[in-house]
Amino acid sequence: MDEAIQSEQQQHLTLVIRKACFGLPTACPSCLPVYIYLKFANVPFDLSYNLTFPDSDHFLSIESTKDKEKLLLLSTSVNFCDVSLDLQHLCSLADQIPYVDTDTYVAYNNEKGGVIESLKEDNIVNLDAGVQNLPEWVSTMAMINSWLSDAILYELWVGSDGSSAHKIYYSDLPWPVGKLLYLKQVHNVKQLLGISKETAERREEEIYRRATMAYQALSTKLGEESFFSDNRQVPTCYIFLPTSLDAFFLGHALITLYALPETSVLRGKLLEQANLVKYADKLKAEFLDAGSSSPDPSSSSVPRRGPSNWGKFRVPVTNCSKPKGQPKRERTQEEKSFRRKAKYFLVTQMVAVLVFLSLLGGSDDTEVDADGDDGFDYDG
Amino acid sequence: MVKEDNPISQVDEDEDEKESSNGGEEEEEDDFDEDEDEDEDEEEEEQQLPVTSESRMRAERARMEGIFHRISSERVPLRVHDVLIKGNNKTKESLIEAEVEALKNATSVQELLQAATIANARLQKLDIFDSVNITLDSGPPELPGTSNVIVQVVESKNPLTGDIGIFTKPEAKSWSLEGSLKLKNLFGYGDLWDGSLSYGWDQTSEVSAGVSLPRFMRLLTPVMARVSLLSQDWLKFSSYKEQALGLSLGLLSTKNHDLAYNISWRTLTDPSQMASKSIRRQLGHGLLSHLKYTFKIDRRNSSLRPTRGFAFVSTSQLGGIFPDYRSLRFIRQEVDLRYALPLGFAGAALNFGVAGGVLFPWGNGFLNTPASLPDRFFLGGNSSPVCTLGGPTSLLGFKTRGLGPSEPKRQVKTNSEDTNSDTSERDFLGGDLAVTAFADLSFDLPLKVLRDSNIHAHAFACAGSLTKLTENAFQDFSFQKYRDSFRSSAGFGLIVPTKLFRMEVNYCYIVRQHEEDRAKTGVQFSFSSPL
Repeated sequence: MDEAIQSEQQQHLTLVIRKACFGLPTACPSCLPVYIYLKFANVPFDLSYNLTFPDSDHFLSIESTKDKEKLLLLSTSVNFCDVSLDLQHLCSLADQIPYVDTDTYVAYNNEKGGVIESLKEDNIVNLDAGVQNLPEWVSTMAMINSWLSDAILYELWVGSDGSSAHKIYYSDLPWPVGKLLYLKQVHNVKQLLGISKETAERREEEIYRRATMAYQALSTKLGEESFFSDNRQVPTCYIFLPTSLDAFFLGHALITLYALPETSVLRGKLLEQANLVKYADKLKAEFLDAGSSSPDPSSSSVPRRGPSNWGKFRVPVTNCSKPKGQPKRERTQEEKSFRRKAKYFLVTQMVAVLVFLSLLGGSDDTEVDADGDDGFDYDG
Repeated sequence: MVKEDNPISQVDEDEDEKESSNGGEEEEEDDFDEDEDEDEDEEEEEQQLPVTSESRMRAERARMEGIFHRISSERVPLRVHDVLIKGNNKTKESLIEAEVEALKNATSVQELLQAATIANARLQKLDIFDSVNITLDSGPPELPGTSNVIVQVVESKNPLTGDIGIFTKPEAKSWSLEGSLKLKNLFGYGDLWDGSLSYGWDQTSEVSAGVSLPRFMRLLTPVMARVSLLSQDWLKFSSYKEQALGLSLGLLSTKNHDLAYNISWRTLTDPSQMASKSIRRQLGHGLLSHLKYTFKIDRRNSSLRPTRGFAFVSTSQLGGIFPDYRSLRFIRQEVDLRYALPLGFAGAALNFGVAGGVLFPWGNGFLNTPASLPDRFFLGGNSSPVCTLGGPTSLLGFKTRGLGPSEPKRQVKTNSEDTNSDTSERDFLGGDLAVTAFADLSFDLPLKVLRDSNIHAHAFACAGSLTKLTENAFQDFSFQKYRDSFRSSAGFGLIVPTKLFRMEVNYCYIVRQHEEDRAKTGVQFSFSSPL
């Protein structure tokens, strides 16, 4: 039975998310990380949109909100990590959507800690194998899933005029239904974040302050690397590979940069960290805008081919050659054809140069050979 | 006052005496009663007055008889001068005047009596008066040949009434236990307000409030508006729950025609998180705005045990008439034709029926969109096809929503080894094209005791089919496949009609079913209430 489920899962996954907008495959903060995670893992999947269920987290009961308030008070005096993570799982992951399904298997977002956790547990996709027990990774994840998650929730529903939230969640519902659901959700978010008339200013300041601290910490941690985590499985190599941490932060960053209005305070704070913005734009270009192996019916962007696909996993290897323990990545058809064409081009170039040199009676331009290596520069 | 020109001095039409609107016969009855009253009066008078007045009475009587003879044999011209309305403290005059307007057009005594009878009945039907009296009095002395009409009403003292019963309402799609409170004539326009709470057989619950106005903006028929909050639980059958907040307006309601507009906000959820793939894709909110027209003729002699006559119902629904293109758009048509043939022995009758329905979405990309889940047709259930008139719904022997297209539910990896129970769970999705047909032979039983309480027996055979047309499924449609999609059952049983509902105990044999259908051969109970 387990093998049957596994094989079925791996055959034909469908990811159900909220609609695409703002140039992103989806602009919903809980859906985009899952999409990115599957793209990082290079797992083929179909996309399906749910346009009519913006409040699939309506099962969240008032009781758990009250519990959340109590635990929030407790968490300020204790190390926030584990407590906060559980709270966020309670509240933000009560949403049924996004989910990944095949005909009979479903990984809902409000079960087992989220879609990504379910996929890891059911052995479908796991990018965190080497890092999920590292305390630093866990605490960074906790920070993203509490402070940054709160910040984007606040900014979408309370901090801005709501036009972004309208477009993401309600643009496909008839006007009276959309309007009422929006008002209900604003009320729910205020309750969740503990915002009332008396506490509004204080909470806003607290949320922005925490977001700024988080951005600064993440900026320091990232530095100039391409991903946040290095894979410690091979002790002597520092290989930076994407993990679910990158998926969560990239999802947050892209929504903050592209979906929020330009006057947004949170967006301004993220723009102050240049390396985080560069990280987001680069990965967006590589994974979201480029062509992928799975059909994407909604995407209208022209898939970018070329060196960007080559540079998926930059490996600044210091002491050793490519480790054999790495999982084999299947090269896409486009990569293979590009490589073939590049080889032909280079061979033709070399032949032309040699013919030139031999026909024109040899000169002392030995640097031509060195210049011919320009074609091998993949940094673009 | 010249009595010869005013043949009637006083005609009282009491509510107890008025039952039919057949003016001709009633005139005579009234006059007879009036005659009797006068006779009684005369007799009393006779006892009191000296004998010399006896001759006067005799002359009066002879005159009355002459007048009566004139009325019954020839047209006696009379004109209505004025209509006076008395007794309405709260009710607006315009409402009562509208109901008695026809009186003003009467040109003879006969017409006047007939119009007065009808006006009385209509005022009674408003359901806001305790009693209604229409008195035809003589007109002013200077205007001969005229009459004044005096309408005396007694308004209900207690405007609030409550009641509990078992009803069938179209919104709930099945019969239910209902408690309701009615408030009559709150604003004086004959408005009837009611609030009701009902709980249905299939775990449907509904809270609703409505108002009915007999006269609204010169429309001929009463206008009704109803706000309702409906909740239906289909978790066991199709893994979803439906909640709908709706407003319906009854625009036209006559004996045969009914036109209503309904706008409702519908939400489908799955708290169990076990739904199959097609159901998962349908969860969410939707706005349904539709116009529904029903045409109904029922010439059967009884709706509980028809032995003669025919009935025809056609219901058409057009969804999507709303300025917003994102509301649900579909066309739904149902027809139901019944015929009952008496066989002439032992109260036996043969009932035939055939019903069909089709549903199709319209709008952009309509060939690929799935039909809206709650509007689809579902077959199966415990109600008898003989009694439930109105589209393809029942097929005896099959459980509620027990046949048609289905999909496996979600499979959850369990540590225990009882995976067999999970693999057989399926969600029934309903269909876009439904057809049912039945034949039923009912007859009395030999025992007199049973005959007296109308308990009788029947033998039946039914067949039905439910298929999908949307999402390009109609391209695979073939006659062979369609024929194979028919299920059928047959059986016999005992019918016990009670005051509230009709109960049947049947033995059903499933002749043909598909593997995934929920059907069982055996004894089953079925309940219906007449629509």
